[in-house]
Amino acid sequence: MTDLSTAPLDRIDEPVADGRMIDSARSRILTLARHEYRTAVRSRILVALLAIVITITAISVYIGSVDHRSKLADYEAYKAAARAGGITQIAPSLLAPLSLLRGSFEYLEIIGAVIAITLGYLTVSRERSNRTLALIRSRPVSAGEQASGSLLGALGVISTLIGVTAVVGVVCVGVIGNDWINAAQAFELLLAYLAAIVYMGVFYCVGAIATANTRIAANGLMIALAVWLIVVLILPQLGDTLDADNQLPGGLFSAIGLDRAGETTILAHFSAYENTRIGIEELSFAKHFERFAFAMTEVQDKYRGFSLGQLLNEKRNDIAWLLLYPTVAMLWLLRSFRRQPAIAPTS
Amino acid sequence: MTADGSPTTTPPAIEMHDLGHAYDADLVLRNVDLRIEAGEVFGFLGHNGAGKTTAVNILTTLITPTSGTARVHGFDVVSQRREVTSMIGYLPSEVRMYPHMTARENLEFFAKLSGVADARSAVNRTFEYLDCGDLADRRVGSFSTGMRQRIGIAQAIVHEPRVLFLDEPTAGLDPVGVRQLRATILRLNDELGMTVFMNTHLLSEVAKVCTTIGVLDHGELIYKDTIEATTARFPDETSLEDIYVRMESVPT
Amino acid sequence: MIVTIARHQILALRRQRTFVMLLATLLVMTAFAGVLGWSSHRTILGVYDESVKLLASQGEPAPENPFRLKPTLSLLSNMVVYIPFIGALLAILLGHVSLADDETNGVGRLVFSRQITRSSYVIGKIIGAAVVLLAILGAGFVVSYLSLWIVNGVVPTMTDSGRLAVFYLLSWLYLMVFALIGMATVLLTRRRSLALLSAMGAWLVITFVLPQITSGLRPTQSLNPITDPVSTSQAFFRVTSHARSFSIVEQYKQMSGRVLETTTATSNLTTGVGVLAAFAVVLAIATIVLVQRHDYSTGTSSD
Repeated sequence: MTDLSTAPLDRIDEPVADGRMIDSARSRILTLARHEYRTAVRSRILVALLAIVITITAISVYIGSVDHRSKLADYEAYKAAARAGGITQIAPSLLAPLSLLRGSFEYLEIIGAVIAITLGYLTVSRERSNRTLALIRSRPVSAGEQASGSLLGALGVISTLIGVTAVVGVVCVGVIGNDWINAAQAFELLLAYLAAIVYMGVFYCVGAIATANTRIAANGLMIALAVWLIVVLILPQLGDTLDADNQLPGGLFSAIGLDRAGETTILAHFSAYENTRIGIEELSFAKHFERFAFAMTEVQDKYRGFSLGQLLNEKRNDIAWLLLYPTVAMLWLLRSFRRQPAIAPTS
Repeated sequence: MTADGSPTTTPPAIEMHDLGHAYDADLVLRNVDLRIEAGEVFGFLGHNGAGKTTAVNILTTLITPTSGTARVHGFDVVSQRREVTSMIGYLPSEVRMYPHMTARENLEFFAKLSGVADARSAVNRTFEYLDCGDLADRRVGSFSTGMRQRIGIAQAIVHEPRVLFLDEPTAGLDPVGVRQLRATILRLNDELGMTVFMNTHLLSEVAKVCTTIGVLDHGELIYKDTIEATTARFPDETSLEDIYVRMESVPT
Repeated sequence: MIVTIARHQILALRRQRTFVMLLATLLVMTAFAGVLGWSSHRTILGVYDESVKLLASQGEPAPENPFRLKPTLSLLSNMVVYIPFIGALLAILLGHVSLADDETNGVGRLVFSRQITRSSYVIGKIIGAAVVLLAILGAGFVVSYLSLWIVNGVVPTMTDSGRLAVFYLLSWLYLMVFALIGMATVLLTRRRSLALLSAMGAWLVITFVLPQITSGLRPTQSLNPITDPVSTSQAFFRVTSHARSFSIVEQYKQMSGRVLETTTATSNLTTGVGVLAAFAVVLAIATIVLVQRHDYSTGTSSD
């Protein structure tokens, strides 16, 4: 039988006089991150939710791409006919291939947030139900390292989901829609997906924070889902419902016969109402993500033709919120991990 | 004390001075003074709710005492937590570990968190030492209580701690499992010089394994001495259980 | 026995804090729906009046007012969205805690070591959930009635009250489906969190995924009671549109829209109610079968 004492361990570090162990902190954080990633991919419910998102993304992009393909063919035919007729000034295409990914982003907004909350909930509840929190905390792992490692691992899972979704979407647009995106569009799409990672990261924190702060983990999950309900569904729904233009299918102002300028003139008489409506929407983190993603993917046709710099300038308010929310969420996550008892009160 | 806070003379493995802890208004530990030398196997006895687990939770830095101090090899459990956690191993009661991971994956994870550079080798050595290599690549979720306990001990010693804390380690074990645990504790103490601090109700095991015992009664330490001295003090009692029952009236 | 189980169920739910909070949210949103309806209706009429003035100043004729004859109950159009969202989540939670709490506490051994059959137990649970849902929606009916009266200054007529009652009965049937989903998932797994998340997953698929597949509706379109027409001419929809009858959220929205007169949909109420009832019956039977087969001999289940 092996004698443990004859083979001394090589430690990554020994306790040093000043208490700092930077290298080992990195090692611990990476260990926790890898652990988080591995555990997530072995969770059946998480895999099921991921599969749903990827499948429905493919379906929604497929539906749009089929339509896009026929419109693109019509445009190419028009161009050919125009050139043959000696016309040099050809109208630009109004088609926006990135906008075919609208459904994909909406699913990330709704279902992606639930996946992220689930991840956060599982991070905390797992340690409780397996009674492994004491095993971690009785080691030289600080609450900050635990929070950082868990968040890093979760972001790895989220990035994997979004990466797969992105590839599926882009390939569908190219193969089915017959319209491959160019480098500039690819960069804008990358920014939109980065925003999606940040968005889901915030909801991961919501799930973990809610669970860490409740005695019964399942109650924490319900609280996190209630936050999701309000932020992702109710607040945007209120904003949409109160929008005057949404009161009729096809748009109220179109039905009355007013263009954009007319709409702006009319709404100036209802500034208090509009400000209240916009204020409600501004409260929703989901709405900021949606607006940024839709601008980057040309869903909103008012942004088509804008350069990247112009787009980022237009969306600076949403970008600011996309930076503020995760900062607050991470600090709150750290605080929750610090305050979470390592063991249940007992004598 | 030196400048870095380490003691100048050889400190005891575990030292509690006037240690107290309260959960809200409920005082579960009261002015506990206890000293355990390196190399001892200490059995901590007491009725349910006496405060044994609370004491272990303080020593393993999981909770902060509301009064008094506790040290492990001279390092304070509150202000020098990192030093303390790098030299202890802990097996809590009813540990389950990560059911979807194999025993090897569980151990490598905990070894890395403890700062072991070559976790894989350390884990292999530990499996060999505890003779449970057959469990290495099986998922912990399929384990019986006895198997989980063995892997639990493995994670507690994989980083070769100087002090091992065991909270009710025999709970749920069959007689064979209890015997294996006893043999393991004795080997760890004998071969590696590991100090063992064990909460337990199983007095028969205490008599066979421990060198010293302490008795906690409603948060107060009412008795502490070696097994030999205890047996000599109560010559009329035939078992440690009988001695324990009489102990509540005996001053320390 | 059944009545005992049902009564106990109702009492336990009253003490569930999370459930009470969600219930309060639903009732608040119900009241708010009336306020929303009033606010947006008032604003839209104002928008129309200003538009007429602007067009007149440009020499354009005044367009027809599309809101002049808006039915009273259409002011509650947001309820058609709130019930499938907040109401369905509440129903899932209701179904979940009905069975999950007993699992967590390991009381199955205490219950079934007595003279009660498994069928009685689960039927009592279903009845308890049904009564609680009925009471919640009854409260919703009262809140809606009062909000129409107070906020809009319109006393609902007997016909409108009848329509409102039909709407809430329809909602009760719709929500029972989700309560039963919440129950069934508890019996399919030992882990409470997995059960809740499975039920949520089912809700997400029913509420967002099925409408996309069968009718091309994007998720955010499902959030608005008024949706733009969607093109479903592709070959994909020639196949999937056959499943539209089984998309219960669309069935519910169309029936509700017809009852509240918020849409001009001509959906067949009988068919829609039949589909919902069929779903509920199948789920109830599945739950009863699952309870019959469930292992209640073990202790507490894990979180």
